[in-house]
Amino acid sequence: MRPTLRARDCLGALALALILCGAAGAAEPTQWLARMNRALTTLDYEGTFAHWQGGRVEMLRIIHRVEHGVVCERLTSLDGSGREFIRRGSDLTVYLPDKKVVLVEHMLPKSSLLGGIPVINAETAHFYRIRKVAHMRIDQHDTRLITVMPKDAYRYGYRLWIDRGGMPLKIQLWDTRHGGEVIEQIAFASLTVRSHIPDSAFAPGLSTAGYRWLRNDAPAPKAGDASAWGALWLPPGFHMAMRASQSMPGTPGQVDHLVYTDGLASVSVFVERKAAASTSGTPATESARMGASYVFSTFVQGHRVTAVGEVPARTVRSIADSVRDQSPAYPSLPGPFAHPPRP
Amino acid sequence: MNEELDSQLSAMFDDELPAAECELLARRLSRDEALKARWSRYAVIGAVIRAERGVVLQSVVADRVNAALTKEPRFADTAEARGLHGWVRLAAGAGLAAGVAAVSILWLRMEAPGAQPGQMTVASTAAPAPASAAPRAADSFVVPPLARHQPMMMIPPTQLADYVVAHSAYSWPISRGSLLSSLMVSDPGTLSPSAAAAQRAPRSHGNATHASR
Repeated sequence: MRPTLRARDCLGALALALILCGAAGAAEPTQWLARMNRALTTLDYEGTFAHWQGGRVEMLRIIHRVEHGVVCERLTSLDGSGREFIRRGSDLTVYLPDKKVVLVEHMLPKSSLLGGIPVINAETAHFYRIRKVAHMRIDQHDTRLITVMPKDAYRYGYRLWIDRGGMPLKIQLWDTRHGGEVIEQIAFASLTVRSHIPDSAFAPGLSTAGYRWLRNDAPAPKAGDASAWGALWLPPGFHMAMRASQSMPGTPGQVDHLVYTDGLASVSVFVERKAAASTSGTPATESARMGASYVFSTFVQGHRVTAVGEVPARTVRSIADSVRDQSPAYPSLPGPFAHPPRP
Repeated sequence: MNEELDSQLSAMFDDELPAAECELLARRLSRDEALKARWSRYAVIGAVIRAERGVVLQSVVADRVNAALTKEPRFADTAEARGLHGWVRLAAGAGLAAGVAAVSILWLRMEAPGAQPGQMTVASTAAPAPASAAPRAADSFVVPPLARHQPMMMIPPTQLADYVVAHSAYSWPISRGSLLSSLMVSDPGTLSPSAAAAQRAPRSHGNATHASR
Protein backbone atom coordinates (compact mmCIF):
# COMPACT_ATOMS: atom_id res chain seq x y z
CA MET A 1 0.00 0.00 0.00
CA ARG A 2 2.70 2.36 0.96
CA PRO A 3 4.40 2.27 -2.46
CA THR A 4 1.01 2.63 -4.09
CA LEU A 5 0.18 5.65 -1.99
CA ARG A 6 3.52 7.17 -2.76
CA ALA A 7 2.98 6.59 -6.45
CA ARG A 8 -0.48 8.09 -6.16
CA ASP A 9 0.90 11.08 -4.28
CA CYS A 10 3.60 11.50 -6.85
CA LEU A 11 1.14 11.26 -9.70
CA GLY A 12 -1.13 13.77 -8.00
CA ALA A 13 1.73 16.16 -7.43
CA LEU A 14 2.89 15.69 -10.99
CA ALA A 15 -0.59 16.35 -12.33
CA LEU A 16 -0.89 19.48 -10.19
CA ALA A 17 2.52 20.66 -11.33
CA LEU A 18 1.55 20.08 -14.95
CA ILE A 19 -1.68 21.99 -14.52
CA LEU A 20 0.09 24.88 -12.84
CA CYS A 21 2.84 24.88 -15.43
CA GLY A 22 0.25 24.75 -18.18
CA ALA A 23 -1.66 27.65 -16.70
CA ALA A 24 1.49 29.69 -16.20
CA GLY A 25 2.68 28.85 -19.67
CA ALA A 26 -0.60 29.88 -21.20
CA ALA A 27 -0.79 33.13 -19.26
CA GLU A 28 2.78 34.18 -19.72
CA PRO A 29 2.63 35.59 -23.26
CA THR A 30 -0.33 37.76 -22.39
CA GLN A 31 1.45 38.88 -19.24
CA TRP A 32 4.36 39.96 -21.40
CA LEU A 33 1.99 41.94 -23.59
CA ALA A 34 0.39 43.55 -20.54
CA ARG A 35 3.85 44.40 -19.22
CA MET A 36 4.71 45.94 -22.57
CA ASN A 37 1.54 48.03 -22.61
CA ARG A 38 2.33 49.29 -19.11
CA ALA A 39 5.93 50.11 -20.01
CA LEU A 40 4.97 51.97 -23.17
CA THR A 41 2.35 54.06 -21.47
CA THR A 42 3.85 54.69 -18.03
CA LEU A 43 7.65 54.84 -18.34
CA ASP A 44 9.80 57.85 -19.22
CA TYR A 45 12.06 56.90 -22.08
CA GLU A 46 13.80 58.14 -25.17
CA GLY A 47 15.13 56.23 -28.08
CA THR A 48 15.99 56.11 -31.73
CA PHE A 49 14.48 53.54 -34.02
CA ALA A 50 14.41 52.48 -37.63
CA HIS A 51 11.01 52.34 -39.25
CA TRP A 52 10.86 50.09 -42.28
CA GLN A 53 7.83 49.93 -44.52
CA GLY A 54 7.34 49.33 -48.20
CA GLY A 55 11.01 49.39 -49.07
CA ARG A 56 11.88 52.52 -47.15
CA VAL A 57 13.79 52.89 -43.93
CA GLU A 58 13.61 56.06 -41.90
CA MET A 59 15.21 56.84 -38.59
CA LEU A 60 12.96 58.41 -35.98
CA ARG A 61 13.44 59.60 -32.43
CA ILE A 62 10.87 59.20 -29.70
CA ILE A 63 10.74 60.83 -26.26
CA HIS A 64 7.99 59.79 -23.85
CA ARG A 65 7.22 61.10 -20.38
CA VAL A 66 4.37 60.69 -17.93
CA GLU A 67 4.38 63.30 -15.18
CA HIS A 68 1.52 63.76 -12.74
CA GLY A 69 -0.63 61.74 -15.07
CA VAL A 70 0.06 63.97 -18.08
CA VAL A 71 1.58 62.26 -21.09
CA CYS A 72 4.15 64.16 -23.13
CA GLU A 73 5.49 62.61 -26.26
CA ARG A 74 7.65 63.77 -29.11
CA LEU A 75 8.31 61.92 -32.33
CA THR A 76 10.79 63.34 -34.81
CA SER A 77 11.82 62.22 -38.26
CA LEU A 78 15.61 62.27 -38.28
CA ASP A 79 16.47 61.74 -41.90
CA GLY A 80 13.29 62.19 -43.86
CA SER A 81 10.69 64.89 -43.96
CA GLY A 82 11.80 66.64 -40.76
CA ARG A 83 8.26 66.31 -39.46
CA GLU A 84 7.53 66.33 -35.77
CA PHE A 85 4.66 65.13 -33.65
CA ILE A 86 4.40 66.56 -30.15
CA ARG A 87 1.79 65.62 -27.63
CA ARG A 88 1.24 67.46 -24.35
CA GLY A 89 -1.64 65.96 -22.49
CA SER A 90 -4.68 66.20 -24.72
CA ASP A 91 -3.05 68.59 -27.22
CA LEU A 92 -1.51 67.01 -30.29
CA THR A 93 0.62 69.12 -32.58
CA VAL A 94 1.97 67.96 -35.91
CA TYR A 95 4.66 70.03 -37.63
CA LEU A 96 4.80 69.49 -41.38
CA PRO A 97 7.78 71.57 -42.57
CA ASP A 98 7.45 70.26 -46.12
CA LYS A 99 4.00 71.85 -46.28
CA LYS A 100 4.72 74.77 -43.94
CA VAL A 101 1.76 73.67 -41.90
CA VAL A 102 1.23 73.06 -38.20
CA LEU A 103 -1.79 71.02 -37.21
CA VAL A 104 -3.17 71.31 -33.70
CA GLU A 105 -5.61 68.68 -32.57
CA HIS A 106 -7.33 67.97 -29.28
CA MET A 107 -8.16 64.54 -28.05
CA LEU A 108 -10.23 63.13 -25.29
CA PRO A 109 -8.92 63.35 -21.72
CA LYS A 110 -6.72 60.41 -20.84
CA SER A 111 -9.31 58.79 -18.66
CA SER A 112 -11.66 58.44 -21.60
CA LEU A 113 -8.91 57.62 -24.02
CA LEU A 114 -7.16 54.42 -23.15
CA GLY A 115 -9.94 53.49 -20.79
CA GLY A 116 -12.21 52.99 -23.76
CA ILE A 117 -9.86 50.56 -25.44
CA PRO A 118 -10.10 46.98 -24.20
CA VAL A 119 -6.97 45.37 -22.83
CA ILE A 120 -5.77 41.99 -23.94
CA ASN A 121 -8.04 39.47 -22.31
CA ALA A 122 -9.56 36.06 -22.79
CA GLU A 123 -11.69 37.37 -25.64
CA THR A 124 -8.59 38.40 -27.54
CA ALA A 125 -7.60 34.74 -27.73
CA HIS A 126 -10.68 34.06 -29.85
CA PHE A 127 -9.21 36.09 -32.66
CA TYR A 128 -5.44 35.90 -32.12
CA ARG A 129 -3.01 33.14 -31.26
CA ILE A 130 -0.69 34.61 -28.65
CA ARG A 131 2.49 32.65 -28.09
CA LYS A 132 5.88 33.02 -26.52
CA VAL A 133 8.12 31.69 -29.22
CA ALA A 134 11.66 32.15 -28.04
CA HIS A 135 14.20 33.71 -25.80
CA MET A 136 16.41 35.90 -27.96
CA ARG A 137 19.12 38.48 -27.64
CA ILE A 138 18.90 41.74 -29.52
CA ASP A 139 21.81 44.13 -29.28
CA GLN A 140 22.94 42.51 -26.02
CA HIS A 141 19.48 42.66 -24.48
CA ASP A 142 17.55 39.60 -23.40
CA THR A 143 14.17 39.58 -25.06
CA ARG A 144 11.17 37.34 -25.34
CA LEU A 145 9.72 36.92 -28.78
CA ILE A 146 5.94 37.04 -28.47
CA THR A 147 3.83 36.40 -31.53
CA VAL A 148 0.26 37.61 -31.87
CA MET A 149 -1.14 36.10 -35.03
CA PRO A 150 -4.73 36.54 -36.22
CA LYS A 151 -6.96 33.57 -36.84
CA ASP A 152 -8.56 35.22 -39.88
CA ALA A 153 -7.60 37.68 -42.58
CA TYR A 154 -9.48 40.68 -41.21
CA ARG A 155 -6.50 41.86 -39.17
CA TYR A 156 -2.73 41.81 -39.04
CA GLY A 157 -0.37 39.90 -36.76
CA TYR A 158 2.54 41.06 -34.65
CA ARG A 159 5.92 39.71 -33.65
CA LEU A 160 7.28 41.54 -30.63
CA TRP A 161 10.72 41.27 -29.08
CA ILE A 162 10.12 42.48 -25.51
CA ASP A 163 12.91 43.09 -23.01
CA ARG A 164 12.72 42.42 -19.28
CA GLY A 165 11.48 45.92 -18.56
CA GLY A 166 8.61 45.44 -20.98
CA MET A 167 9.95 47.63 -23.77
CA PRO A 168 9.53 46.25 -27.29
CA LEU A 169 12.95 46.49 -28.89
CA LYS A 170 11.70 45.24 -32.21
CA ILE A 171 8.22 45.02 -33.68
CA GLN A 172 7.08 43.39 -36.89
CA LEU A 173 3.65 43.76 -38.38
CA TRP A 174 2.64 40.69 -40.36
CA ASP A 175 0.12 40.16 -43.07
CA THR A 176 -0.59 36.49 -42.56
CA ARG A 177 -2.33 36.04 -45.89
CA HIS A 178 -0.58 34.45 -48.82
CA GLY A 179 1.94 32.60 -46.70
CA GLY A 180 2.84 35.52 -44.45
CA GLU A 181 4.79 38.67 -45.09
CA VAL A 182 6.39 41.35 -42.95
CA ILE A 183 4.77 44.62 -43.95
CA GLU A 184 6.32 46.91 -41.38
CA GLN A 185 9.13 46.79 -38.88
CA ILE A 186 10.23 49.04 -36.07
CA ALA A 187 13.60 48.30 -34.47
CA PHE A 188 15.23 50.37 -31.78
CA ALA A 189 18.85 51.33 -32.29
CA SER A 190 18.96 52.90 -28.84
CA LEU A 191 16.49 53.03 -26.01
CA THR A 192 17.02 54.55 -22.57
CA VAL A 193 14.58 54.62 -19.68
CA ARG A 194 15.03 57.92 -17.81
CA SER A 195 14.11 58.96 -14.30
CA HIS A 196 13.37 62.48 -15.48
CA ILE A 197 12.94 64.16 -18.83
CA PRO A 198 12.83 67.99 -18.81
CA ASP A 199 10.13 70.08 -20.47
CA SER A 200 12.68 71.39 -22.94
CA ALA A 201 12.82 67.95 -24.53
CA PHE A 202 9.31 68.52 -25.84
CA ALA A 203 9.94 71.81 -27.60
CA PRO A 204 9.82 71.63 -31.40
CA GLY A 205 13.20 71.61 -33.06
CA LEU A 206 12.19 73.84 -35.95
CA SER A 207 11.19 77.41 -36.49
CA THR A 208 7.57 77.84 -37.49
CA ALA A 209 7.93 81.34 -38.93
CA GLY A 210 5.75 81.59 -42.01
CA TYR A 211 3.87 78.41 -41.21
CA ARG A 212 0.11 78.13 -41.53
CA TRP A 213 -1.38 77.08 -38.21
CA LEU A 214 -4.48 74.98 -38.43
CA ARG A 215 -5.94 74.66 -35.01
CA ASN A 216 -9.16 73.54 -33.59
CA ASP A 217 -10.11 75.88 -30.77
CA ALA A 218 -13.31 74.09 -29.95
CA PRO A 219 -13.37 72.24 -26.64
CA ALA A 220 -12.15 68.66 -26.62
CA PRO A 221 -14.76 66.20 -27.80
CA LYS A 222 -16.98 64.42 -25.36
CA ALA A 223 -17.35 60.70 -25.69
CA GLY A 224 -20.85 59.66 -26.55
CA ASP A 225 -21.71 62.98 -28.12
CA ALA A 226 -22.45 61.90 -31.66
CA SER A 227 -25.33 61.20 -33.92
CA ALA A 228 -26.67 57.78 -34.76
CA TRP A 229 -24.07 56.89 -37.34
CA GLY A 230 -22.65 53.43 -37.10
CA ALA A 231 -21.20 50.51 -39.05
CA LEU A 232 -23.67 47.78 -39.84
CA TRP A 233 -20.93 45.29 -40.61
CA LEU A 234 -17.89 44.55 -38.49
CA PRO A 235 -15.31 41.78 -38.58
CA PRO A 236 -15.71 39.15 -35.85
CA GLY A 237 -14.58 40.47 -32.48
CA PHE A 238 -14.80 44.13 -33.37
CA HIS A 239 -17.09 46.38 -31.41
CA MET A 240 -17.58 50.08 -30.91
CA ALA A 241 -15.19 51.47 -28.28
CA MET A 242 -15.87 55.19 -28.63
CA ARG A 243 -18.27 57.55 -30.31
CA ALA A 244 -17.81 61.31 -30.26
CA SER A 245 -18.65 64.40 -32.21
CA GLN A 246 -15.86 66.89 -32.62
CA SER A 247 -14.58 69.83 -34.58
CA MET A 248 -11.51 69.18 -36.65
CA PRO A 249 -9.21 71.83 -38.08
CA GLY A 250 -10.08 72.61 -41.66
CA THR A 251 -13.31 70.66 -41.62
CA PRO A 252 -16.44 72.80 -41.49
CA GLY A 253 -19.01 71.64 -38.99
CA GLN A 254 -18.88 68.71 -36.68
CA VAL A 255 -17.25 65.41 -37.52
CA ASP A 256 -18.51 62.22 -35.95
CA HIS A 257 -15.65 60.00 -34.85
CA LEU A 258 -16.42 56.33 -34.21
CA VAL A 259 -13.77 53.87 -33.05
CA TYR A 260 -14.10 50.11 -33.51
CA THR A 261 -11.59 47.69 -32.02
CA ASP A 262 -10.99 44.05 -31.31
CA GLY A 263 -8.66 44.98 -28.47
CA LEU A 264 -5.53 45.20 -30.61
CA ALA A 265 -6.48 46.43 -34.05
CA SER A 266 -8.69 49.46 -34.39
CA VAL A 267 -10.52 51.31 -37.12
CA SER A 268 -11.71 54.90 -36.87
CA VAL A 269 -14.66 56.09 -38.91
CA PHE A 270 -15.07 59.81 -39.51
CA VAL A 271 -18.38 61.10 -40.78
CA GLU A 272 -18.23 64.60 -42.17
CA ARG A 273 -21.81 65.74 -42.33
CA LYS A 274 -23.02 67.17 -45.60
CA ALA A 275 -19.56 67.41 -47.12
CA ALA A 276 -19.28 69.83 -50.02
CA ALA A 277 -18.45 67.32 -52.71
CA SER A 278 -21.64 65.46 -52.02
CA THR A 279 -23.59 68.03 -53.96
CA SER A 280 -21.65 67.44 -57.15
CA GLY A 281 -23.79 64.49 -58.05
CA THR A 282 -20.73 62.38 -58.63
CA PRO A 283 -20.08 60.48 -55.47
CA ALA A 284 -16.57 59.13 -55.49
CA THR A 285 -14.48 56.81 -53.47
CA GLU A 286 -10.79 56.96 -52.85
CA SER A 287 -8.32 54.96 -50.89
CA ALA A 288 -4.79 55.36 -49.75
CA ARG A 289 -2.19 53.60 -47.76
CA MET A 290 -0.14 55.27 -45.08
CA GLY A 291 2.47 52.95 -43.70
CA ALA A 292 0.69 49.79 -42.74
CA SER A 293 -2.60 51.61 -42.35
CA TYR A 294 -5.31 52.10 -44.90
CA VAL A 295 -7.63 54.98 -45.52
CA PHE A 296 -10.85 54.61 -47.46
CA SER A 297 -13.28 57.42 -48.15
CA THR A 298 -16.72 57.31 -49.68
CA PHE A 299 -20.02 59.16 -49.64
CA VAL A 300 -23.04 57.80 -47.81
CA GLN A 301 -26.37 59.59 -47.87
CA GLY A 302 -24.63 62.83 -48.81
CA HIS A 303 -22.06 62.63 -46.03
CA ARG A 304 -18.42 61.84 -46.42
CA VAL A 305 -17.38 58.72 -44.56
CA THR A 306 -13.67 58.09 -44.10
CA ALA A 307 -12.29 55.00 -42.38
CA VAL A 308 -8.71 54.72 -41.13
CA GLY A 309 -7.20 51.62 -39.59
CA GLU A 310 -4.15 49.45 -39.17
CA VAL A 311 -5.92 46.48 -40.72
CA PRO A 312 -6.00 45.08 -44.27
CA ALA A 313 -7.51 47.33 -46.92
CA ARG A 314 -10.59 45.21 -47.40
CA THR A 315 -11.48 45.39 -43.71
CA VAL A 316 -11.26 49.19 -43.75
CA ARG A 317 -13.30 49.42 -46.91
CA SER A 318 -15.97 46.98 -45.81
CA ILE A 319 -16.52 48.83 -42.55
CA ALA A 320 -16.70 52.19 -44.32
CA ASP A 321 -19.12 50.86 -46.91
CA SER A 322 -21.46 49.64 -44.21
CA VAL A 323 -21.66 52.92 -42.28
CA ARG A 324 -25.17 54.32 -42.15
CA ASP A 325 -27.13 56.93 -40.29
CA GLN A 326 -29.34 54.81 -38.12
CA SER A 327 -31.53 57.60 -36.90
CA PRO A 328 -35.28 57.35 -37.65
CA ALA A 329 -34.79 59.58 -40.71
CA TYR A 330 -33.02 56.69 -42.45
CA PRO A 331 -34.71 53.63 -41.03
CA SER A 332 -34.44 51.05 -43.72
CA LEU A 333 -31.82 52.00 -46.23
CA PRO A 334 -30.48 48.84 -47.79
CA GLY A 335 -26.74 48.47 -47.62
CA PRO A 336 -24.17 46.62 -49.68
CA PHE A 337 -23.13 44.70 -46.60
CA ALA A 338 -25.85 42.10 -46.74
CA HIS A 339 -23.16 39.77 -47.98
CA PRO A 340 -20.15 40.57 -45.87
CA PRO A 341 -16.78 40.11 -47.48
CA ARG A 342 -14.81 36.97 -47.17
CA PRO A 343 -11.15 37.62 -46.41
CA MET B 1 28.61 36.92 -63.01
CA ASN B 2 32.30 36.51 -62.44
CA GLU B 3 33.72 35.11 -59.28
CA GLU B 4 35.49 38.29 -58.24
CA LEU B 5 32.32 40.34 -58.46
CA ASP B 6 30.47 37.73 -56.51
CA SER B 7 33.03 37.77 -53.76
CA GLN B 8 32.99 41.59 -53.70
CA LEU B 9 29.24 41.51 -53.27
CA SER B 10 29.52 39.03 -50.47
CA ALA B 11 32.18 41.17 -48.75
CA MET B 12 30.03 44.26 -49.14
CA PHE B 13 27.10 42.55 -47.52
CA ASP B 14 29.31 41.46 -44.63
CA ASP B 15 30.72 44.99 -44.21
CA GLU B 16 34.14 43.76 -45.16
CA LEU B 17 34.55 45.70 -48.38
CA PRO B 18 36.65 48.87 -48.23
CA ALA B 19 34.60 52.03 -48.46
CA ALA B 20 35.90 53.11 -51.86
CA GLU B 21 35.16 49.74 -53.43
CA CYS B 22 31.83 49.76 -51.68
CA GLU B 23 30.80 52.96 -53.40
CA LEU B 24 31.88 51.71 -56.79
CA LEU B 25 30.00 48.50 -56.34
CA ALA B 26 26.96 50.38 -55.10
CA ARG B 27 26.91 52.43 -58.30
CA ARG B 28 27.19 49.31 -60.38
CA LEU B 29 24.41 47.70 -58.37
CA SER B 30 22.07 50.52 -59.23
CA ARG B 31 22.28 49.78 -62.94
CA ASP B 32 23.03 46.06 -63.13
CA GLU B 33 19.85 44.03 -62.78
CA ALA B 34 21.67 40.70 -62.46
CA LEU B 35 23.82 42.07 -59.70
CA LYS B 36 20.75 43.48 -57.97
CA ALA B 37 19.14 40.06 -58.04
CA ARG B 38 22.29 38.56 -56.55
CA TRP B 39 22.28 41.20 -53.83
CA SER B 40 18.67 40.43 -53.10
CA ARG B 41 19.46 36.81 -52.45
CA TYR B 42 22.21 37.71 -50.02
CA ALA B 43 19.87 40.11 -48.32
CA VAL B 44 17.10 37.58 -47.83
CA ILE B 45 19.44 34.97 -46.45
CA GLY B 46 21.14 37.50 -44.20
CA ALA B 47 17.87 38.78 -42.85
CA VAL B 48 16.71 35.34 -41.93
CA ILE B 49 20.00 34.43 -40.29
CA ARG B 50 20.16 37.63 -38.26
CA ALA B 51 16.54 38.10 -37.39
CA GLU B 52 15.69 34.53 -36.60
CA ARG B 53 18.91 33.33 -35.01
CA GLY B 54 18.19 30.70 -32.41
CA VAL B 55 14.76 29.96 -33.75
CA VAL B 56 13.91 26.96 -35.85
CA LEU B 57 12.84 28.31 -39.18
CA GLN B 58 9.20 27.79 -39.85
CA SER B 59 8.41 26.11 -43.08
CA VAL B 60 6.98 29.29 -44.56
CA VAL B 61 10.17 31.21 -43.92
CA ALA B 62 12.31 28.34 -45.14
CA ASP B 63 10.24 28.14 -48.29
CA ARG B 64 10.66 31.84 -48.90
CA VAL B 65 14.40 31.63 -48.49
CA ASN B 66 14.44 28.66 -50.81
CA ALA B 67 12.34 30.58 -53.29
CA ALA B 68 14.72 33.49 -53.04
CA LEU B 69 17.59 31.23 -53.95
CA THR B 70 15.88 29.92 -57.02
CA LYS B 71 14.15 32.99 -58.36
CA GLU B 72 14.02 36.74 -58.08
CA PRO B 73 12.71 37.61 -54.62
CA ARG B 74 10.01 40.12 -54.01
CA PHE B 75 11.19 43.64 -53.44
CA ALA B 76 9.73 43.64 -49.95
CA ASP B 77 12.01 40.82 -48.91
CA THR B 78 14.99 42.63 -50.21
CA ALA B 79 14.08 45.89 -48.64
CA GLU B 80 13.37 44.33 -45.30
CA ALA B 81 16.70 42.66 -45.28
CA ARG B 82 18.41 45.88 -46.21
CA GLY B 83 16.51 47.64 -43.48
CA LEU B 84 17.72 45.12 -40.98
CA HIS B 85 21.20 45.51 -42.28
CA GLY B 86 21.11 49.25 -41.75
CA TRP B 87 19.60 48.88 -38.31
CA VAL B 88 22.08 46.30 -37.14
CA ARG B 89 24.85 48.50 -38.43
CA LEU B 90 23.51 51.57 -36.69
CA ALA B 91 22.99 49.71 -33.47
CA ALA B 92 26.55 48.47 -33.54
CA GLY B 93 27.90 51.97 -34.01
CA ALA B 94 30.26 50.79 -36.70
CA GLY B 95 33.16 52.81 -38.09
CA LEU B 96 33.57 55.03 -41.09
CA ALA B 97 33.81 52.30 -43.69
CA ALA B 98 30.65 50.70 -42.46
CA GLY B 99 29.01 54.12 -42.37
CA VAL B 100 29.82 54.72 -46.00
CA ALA B 101 28.47 51.31 -46.87
CA ALA B 102 25.28 52.07 -44.99
CA VAL B 103 24.86 55.32 -46.89
CA SER B 104 25.41 53.51 -50.16
CA ILE B 105 22.89 50.89 -49.30
CA LEU B 106 20.33 53.44 -48.26
CA TRP B 107 20.96 55.32 -51.47
CA LEU B 108 20.37 52.14 -53.42
CA ARG B 109 17.15 51.58 -51.63
CA MET B 110 15.92 55.00 -52.54
CA GLU B 111 16.74 54.34 -56.13
CA ALA B 112 15.19 50.90 -56.26
CA PRO B 113 11.98 50.35 -58.18
CA GLY B 114 8.97 50.66 -55.96
CA ALA B 115 10.72 52.76 -53.34
CA GLN B 116 9.43 56.26 -53.75
CA PRO B 117 10.77 58.52 -51.10
CA GLY B 118 8.47 61.24 -49.94
CA GLN B 119 5.36 59.67 -51.31
CA MET B 120 2.63 57.68 -49.74
CA THR B 121 1.69 54.48 -51.48
CA VAL B 122 -1.53 55.09 -53.31
CA ALA B 123 -4.20 52.61 -54.22
CA SER B 124 -6.92 53.86 -56.46
CA THR B 125 -10.12 51.89 -56.23
CA ALA B 126 -10.88 52.26 -59.90
CA ALA B 127 -7.65 51.92 -61.77
CA PRO B 128 -4.44 51.64 -59.80
CA ALA B 129 -1.96 54.20 -60.98
CA PRO B 130 1.67 54.63 -60.07
CA ALA B 131 2.19 56.90 -57.11
CA SER B 132 4.34 59.15 -59.21
CA ALA B 133 1.32 59.97 -61.32
CA ALA B 134 -0.69 61.17 -58.34
CA PRO B 135 -1.38 64.87 -58.10
CA ARG B 136 1.06 66.92 -56.08
CA ALA B 137 0.26 67.57 -52.47
CA ALA B 138 -1.94 70.52 -51.81
CA ASP B 139 -0.41 73.30 -49.74
CA SER B 140 -3.72 74.95 -49.09
CA PHE B 141 -5.89 73.42 -46.47
CA VAL B 142 -9.06 75.29 -47.29
CA VAL B 143 -9.13 75.06 -51.04
CA PRO B 144 -7.12 72.13 -52.33
CA PRO B 145 -5.84 72.76 -55.85
CA LEU B 146 -7.41 70.71 -58.60
CA ALA B 147 -5.19 69.00 -61.08
CA ARG B 148 -6.29 69.30 -64.68
CA HIS B 149 -8.39 66.45 -65.99
CA GLN B 150 -8.58 64.98 -62.52
CA PRO B 151 -11.75 64.52 -60.52
CA MET B 152 -12.06 66.55 -57.36
CA MET B 153 -9.80 65.44 -54.57
CA MET B 154 -12.05 64.60 -51.70
CA ILE B 155 -9.74 64.84 -48.75
CA PRO B 156 -7.16 67.58 -48.48
CA PRO B 157 -3.83 66.12 -47.35
CA THR B 158 -3.68 68.01 -44.10
CA GLN B 159 -7.14 66.84 -43.20
CA LEU B 160 -6.04 63.30 -43.92
CA ALA B 161 -3.10 63.79 -41.58
CA ASP B 162 -5.53 65.10 -38.98
CA TYR B 163 -7.68 61.98 -39.32
CA VAL B 164 -4.64 59.77 -38.86
CA VAL B 165 -3.56 61.70 -35.76
CA ALA B 166 -7.06 61.55 -34.31
CA HIS B 167 -7.23 57.82 -34.99
CA SER B 168 -3.82 57.20 -33.43
CA ALA B 169 -5.13 58.41 -30.11
CA TYR B 170 -7.34 55.33 -29.91
CA SER B 171 -4.89 52.74 -31.15
CA TRP B 172 -3.02 50.08 -29.27
CA PRO B 173 0.34 51.64 -28.25
CA ILE B 174 2.16 49.44 -30.75
CA SER B 175 -0.15 50.41 -33.60
CA ARG B 176 -0.04 54.01 -32.49
CA GLY B 177 3.72 54.11 -32.81
CA SER B 178 3.40 52.60 -36.23
CA LEU B 179 0.75 55.07 -37.35
CA LEU B 180 2.61 58.13 -36.18
CA SER B 181 5.89 56.87 -37.60
CA SER B 182 4.17 56.43 -40.94
CA LEU B 183 2.80 59.94 -40.69
CA MET B 184 6.31 61.24 -40.07
CA VAL B 185 7.72 59.55 -43.15
CA SER B 186 4.76 59.44 -45.57
CA ASP B 187 3.36 62.18 -47.65
CA PRO B 188 -0.30 62.53 -46.80
CA GLY B 189 -0.81 64.69 -49.84
CA THR B 190 -0.90 62.06 -52.51
CA LEU B 191 -4.29 60.62 -51.87
CA SER B 192 -5.59 59.59 -55.22
CA PRO B 193 -9.19 60.10 -56.20
CA SER B 194 -11.08 57.57 -58.20
CA ALA B 195 -14.08 57.82 -60.45
CA ALA B 196 -17.63 57.35 -59.42
CA ALA B 197 -17.68 54.10 -61.29
CA ALA B 198 -15.20 52.60 -58.87
CA GLN B 199 -15.90 48.98 -58.41
CA ARG B 200 -16.97 47.80 -55.06
CA ALA B 201 -14.88 45.19 -53.34
CA PRO B 202 -15.93 41.68 -54.31
CA ARG B 203 -18.33 40.34 -51.79
CA SER B 204 -19.44 36.90 -50.85
CA HIS B 205 -20.91 35.16 -47.88
CA GLY B 206 -18.63 34.94 -44.88
CA ASN B 207 -18.64 34.45 -41.14
CA ALA B 208 -18.82 38.10 -40.25
CA THR B 209 -20.85 39.59 -37.48
CA HIS B 210 -23.26 42.48 -37.64
CA ALA B 211 -22.92 45.26 -35.18
CA SER B 212 -26.05 45.65 -33.18
CA ARG B 213 -27.03 49.05 -32.06
